[in-house]
Amino acid sequence: MKELVEYIAKSLVDNPESVRVNEVEGSSMVVLELTVDDSDMGRVIGKGGRVVNAMRTLVDVAGGRRGKRVTLEIID
Amino acid sequence: MSDRAIEAQGTDVEAAIEAGLQKLGLERHDVIVEVVDEGRKGILGLGSKEAMVRLTPLTAGEPRRDPARATKAAPPPGPRPSTTSATVTDEVDAGAPADAPATPTPVAPVVVEDEVDEELVSAVTEIVSNLLEKMGLGEATVRADLSEPDDNSGRRMTVLRVEGENLSALIGPHGETLNDFQYIARLMAGHALRRRADFIVDVDGYRSQRKESLSSLARRMAAKAVERGSAVTLEPMSSYDRRIIHMALRDRDDVYTSSVGEGSNRRVRVYLKGEE
Repeated sequence: MKELVEYIAKSLVDNPESVRVNEVEGSSMVVLELTVDDSDMGRVIGKGGRVVNAMRTLVDVAGGRRGKRVTLEIID
Repeated sequence: MSDRAIEAQGTDVEAAIEAGLQKLGLERHDVIVEVVDEGRKGILGLGSKEAMVRLTPLTAGEPRRDPARATKAAPPPGPRPSTTSATVTDEVDAGAPADAPATPTPVAPVVVEDEVDEELVSAVTEIVSNLLEKMGLGEATVRADLSEPDDNSGRRMTVLRVEGENLSALIGPHGETLNDFQYIARLMAGHALRRRADFIVDVDGYRSQRKESLSSLARRMAAKAVERGSAVTLEPMSSYDRRIIHMALRDRDDVYTSSVGEGSNRRVRVYLKGEE
């Protein structure tokens, strides 16, 4: 799950070395916190949140495979 | 016309939809709803008329009864069953994207032959395979291919065909998950190649199946508009789906289409030609 978000984020930003994903896993939930360089925020959020929402859809599918609810937040 | 569509009745439209869904054992987002008759409430039950709806299932994982596509489940190594006879595609094996450019076999004369964009195919195959693996869908296979010619431009686009078991989660309601997946993959490829990356991601033939369902819906709605003598409005749809409806009816002499409404409420309206 963490690798999925890391992979997507690093492929979208100009500063992949600044991409960090913190994963907190509970019994039925996973929280993913994504950090990127300030200048890359727009790339991972997208117009009207379109990019981050699409990422949420994909991590939900990944979480569903393991029976977990996933929350993805971008931390600034 | 889809032979899997069913009709259902109820005291009002919602009740009719509910009854239909129960019959099919499907959820609301798995079907296209078409209101055949809105029914009438009547006064104290007098003069009332039941509402009728037609539900067309969209679930990709279901067996398809269309014989032309019946061999779908286990794709033979030979030429794939395709929806038109004019599809000789330049298949590029996912494992060997760097093969010499396959000379496109001439097909219908009107078709514009696009070259296989090898740089794109190789980048996109890798991205899609990696995404699937990291999503826990690593057992699915990915194959690059060219689309059938676009109805409008005759252009053929790169298609990434994902095939495997239990991929309905990757399609999602109304194909929304697949659209999100395609959106992310396009962004990633565009960023990697530093240019616009146009391609389609399809899962187990979902997109062509949906195109057929929506085209037949479009024709039924056109017939309904003609019969009624007035415009008919469809359900809200994505831009991708609305385009299929527009394309399906664009050569008609009797009706024309236009989209109305904003955002997620945008829908196609079918008008009679020569009115308003």
